[in-house]
Amino acid sequence: MSNLLNKRLARSLWRTKIRLIAVILMVFVGVFAGITFGGYAHNLGNMYDAMQADDEEGANLADLWIDNRSTIWTPDQISNFCESLAHNWDLNTVTPLSLDSCEGRTITQGAMFYSNEDGERIINSLWHGIPPDANTDRVWMPKGNSEGRTAVAADEIVIDAHVTEALNLSIGDAVIIGAGNITVEFSLVGIGYHPLHVLMAPEGSLFPPESGEYVVGYLSDTGMARLTGNAIGTSNTIILDVEGTPSYDLPDTQEYEGIEIDAVKMIVESTLNDTELDARVRDRGQNEPVEIMRQDLAGAERATLPFTVMIASIAAITIVLSLQRLVQSQAKEIAVLRTLGVRRSSLMLGYLIAPLAIGGVGCALGASAGPWGMNGMLDFYEDLVGLPIVERTVPLSIYLSVIILTMLVVFISGAFPAVKASRLEPLEVLSGQSEMRIGSNNLRKITSWMPTALGLSIRSSVRKPIRLMMTFVAVGISLMLFGSIQMMSAGMEDSFLGGLEEDQNWDIQVYIMPDAEEPVLDWAENNSADYEIIIEMPLGLVTDSEDIERSFNLVGLDSFQSGMRPISISEGNMPNANGTLPQVMMDEGSMQFLRWSVGEKHTVKINGAPQDIEIVGISSAELARTMYFLREDLSGIIGVNATSIYLQLSEGVRVDSHLGEISTGIVERQTLLDGINDLLDQQTTIFQSMMYLGLLFTVVVMFNTMIMNVAERDFELATLRVLGASTKSLGLMLLFESLLIGIIGGIVGVLFAYGGAIGLAASFSSWQFMIPVTIVPSVAWQLMAGVVLISVLMTPVGVWRLRRMDLVEKVKDLSQ
Amino acid sequence: MRKLLRMQNLERHYKTPAGTVRALDGVSFEISEGERVILLGPSGSGKTTLLNCLSALDSPTGGDYIFLENEVPRNNSEKMTSFRRENIGYVFQFFNLLQDLTVLENILLIQELSGNKNPSRAKDLLELVGLEDEIDRFPGEISGGQQQRVAIARSIAKRPTLLLGDELTGNLDSETSNKVMEVLVGACKKENITSVFVTHDEGLVKFATRVIRIDSGKIISDEKIGSSDDGF
Repeated sequence: MSNLLNKRLARSLWRTKIRLIAVILMVFVGVFAGITFGGYAHNLGNMYDAMQADDEEGANLADLWIDNRSTIWTPDQISNFCESLAHNWDLNTVTPLSLDSCEGRTITQGAMFYSNEDGERIINSLWHGIPPDANTDRVWMPKGNSEGRTAVAADEIVIDAHVTEALNLSIGDAVIIGAGNITVEFSLVGIGYHPLHVLMAPEGSLFPPESGEYVVGYLSDTGMARLTGNAIGTSNTIILDVEGTPSYDLPDTQEYEGIEIDAVKMIVESTLNDTELDARVRDRGQNEPVEIMRQDLAGAERATLPFTVMIASIAAITIVLSLQRLVQSQAKEIAVLRTLGVRRSSLMLGYLIAPLAIGGVGCALGASAGPWGMNGMLDFYEDLVGLPIVERTVPLSIYLSVIILTMLVVFISGAFPAVKASRLEPLEVLSGQSEMRIGSNNLRKITSWMPTALGLSIRSSVRKPIRLMMTFVAVGISLMLFGSIQMMSAGMEDSFLGGLEEDQNWDIQVYIMPDAEEPVLDWAENNSADYEIIIEMPLGLVTDSEDIERSFNLVGLDSFQSGMRPISISEGNMPNANGTLPQVMMDEGSMQFLRWSVGEKHTVKINGAPQDIEIVGISSAELARTMYFLREDLSGIIGVNATSIYLQLSEGVRVDSHLGEISTGIVERQTLLDGINDLLDQQTTIFQSMMYLGLLFTVVVMFNTMIMNVAERDFELATLRVLGASTKSLGLMLLFESLLIGIIGGIVGVLFAYGGAIGLAASFSSWQFMIPVTIVPSVAWQLMAGVVLISVLMTPVGVWRLRRMDLVEKVKDLSQ
Repeated sequence: MRKLLRMQNLERHYKTPAGTVRALDGVSFEISEGERVILLGPSGSGKTTLLNCLSALDSPTGGDYIFLENEVPRNNSEKMTSFRRENIGYVFQFFNLLQDLTVLENILLIQELSGNKNPSRAKDLLELVGLEDEIDRFPGEISGGQQQRVAIARSIAKRPTLLLGDELTGNLDSETSNKVMEVLVGACKKENITSVFVTHDEGLVKFATRVIRIDSGKIISDEKIGSSDDGF
């Protein structure tokens, strides 16, 4: 008997095949997204592990970086520090870990003088000097995805693989580079990658310029000496490798994980004091290029569960609503079966099997297509970040977790209608008592002043409040997928691009060695260019309320309003020179994270040394954590007058090779803008498929609800048609109902999207970068209008149904 | 008395896989204003099909149907709806009141959809059917007999020329049926409305001025009981 009952149910479901297919599609998308994201995160994680590994194939990412960019240390200072460190390490009782290596490096900004058929170009660059026998932070040359070998001789260079294609460079080419000293020719012997340059963004910036606009090269130590004119072994950075990977604090978590590395840092700090070196000390969590990519990976891992659950929830709500409607439409049939003696459990079984069958088909399709989606995302990641992801597998655990989770959600969603079906009382159904209900007096009072047809529309819309609420929740979740990403992108674009695009008015930023500004100022005067000297260094450290050290950028400007880089203030005042302490402004994100307020005085570390400051203002939302000083104050603290110069070029004046030679790098504002735009576009593209899925779900959910509303109103619409109501007047009633549901759905959608955007931004925000969320009115209106439009577009479906209604059959139904 | 409608050789045939079903097979009769006609017949005799053709819910496949000297539209849903709106009142067996509207609002809605909203007439009609104290109650809060009286008030609210009813007391006990019929006949008289009702119940014949018996799609007897002005 059960088989026949299940067959009956299957045929009933097949009669509403569009809805059935929509539900299967939703389950499919949920599983597809889960496997795509899960597989993507898994393979990405493997790629980072391979790159950072301490073995022959890997680059052996350092555990600590000790640096001071406003000075250089002699080879003797480096060996003295490393020996003292080894000695202190032997004596220490705080860490059981052993020190693997202590190495000095020079990492310096510079320029590449690049020529092709279009002429000569000066490209902002960064050069690493890496000894051939280096243990740590080596060049990563994965087999099959890199070329040549590492640099050994003084005239050899490896160029980062991110740019070689854009610059059309190949092994054996000669490249001419500089670092604010002289220009030197090197021979390209290798094309590889480096764990500190996965994201090809200049230091202090989170936005990679367009490919070929920023170059990173890896010389040997002798090559670096040749480039800078310093002795071999001269360094501005010391890198330490500790046995294994000591745990370090992850800035995006609430817990403090940095106990193991803190023990190491204690020994390092003590050794720095012993050897009288000023330097900042950063672990992996404080080294931005490393931390950003770790957070990117963590974000991908974190996104798997919420995206899967969100999509599965929409599917679940649609399943609940659809099955409930099915139970309702089959109430009489079920009552007859119950009267004939069919057991509750036999009836319930079918309604429990139905969602499992629907879920099973959706899961099978999703699991089959998941690897395809994962490969698509990994391909996209390869294009975006420029790293090869060779290993591509989806582990069984990902399949199982996604499918089990989805089936669980789907099964639970089927249980409620199943219980409802089994509990129908035959007598109540057959006597029509179950259809009898009493209207709401409150609703009557609220709508009594309206035309009766309008009042009826409103009362009909809210007749099933739970269903309506579930619809709004489903629309809300769908729009969370769609709108939150849109809102976050719009907020980011508004905040980050707006200032650079509209407020700042420099053309190029010329980087210089500390205090080497005079030649650039001469160049500016000779070329009638306006200039502004600035100090910009990533050398600030501050201890937050949880005792974690956070790094930030220092910026010194002569003017915060009339200069080439005006700063928009959200609270307080501009710093001035009359304070007893140096006055500073800090960005909104830092102030929030540190829980600081305007008017407070704090102690921060600048270049490793403690410094008291007074907070007088807050600058508007910025991606990076930044403290703004008057340049003369900052100069007095760090002993450097300038690190770069903004230039406004006169008409017809172009950057020439002389400017390249006297600088350590040149950045064009337009290039920076293009890079940010590019990155924002790429970020949006990653989520675009999710956004449009959200929109599709909104359409499906609204369509499902509207169709059910109209189907449920067959009784009253048929009555009114028999009594002579025209299609037009009934169509207007349906239109009003659609509008009402659309407007409420739109408002709920915007709220969900805003909530989602805040959640999304919070999950992506960390000390390294804070994403502000603002309700951009145009986005909110778009969402509202979209939902209203979708619901209004459903009205013709209702009218079409009205027109094809067979009144003779309906009158028969009404008389039974 | 003026002739209200005339059916001449009316046919309603259905094509089915098993062959043609002749639900109405050459039905001819006339009804004058003020008559109260009861259509009697066994199940499947064609009486509901005849009622559907009378109300222009269904289109005859042959013959003529003239209402107030005009051909009644057929095979055109909008024109048929318009005909019903202008001429026909309808009472269902299961009342079919809208549960979300109060008793008064059920009547106001029909007036509104006919473009003739008149709350004072709606209240008068409820008084006529004896429900003046129930106007703000919902259908679910009143008895079946009361609901049918609301349905009657609703059906005559737009002053139809012809009131139709299909087994309109089929869902009520005999005492309530009699009360409802008394109200209905009283209302029709007061509003000068002609009525045609389909029923199985021979007991309702006493409320009619004419009884048409139908079987196998044909009229087998057409009997006048008294004048339309008779009491009951």
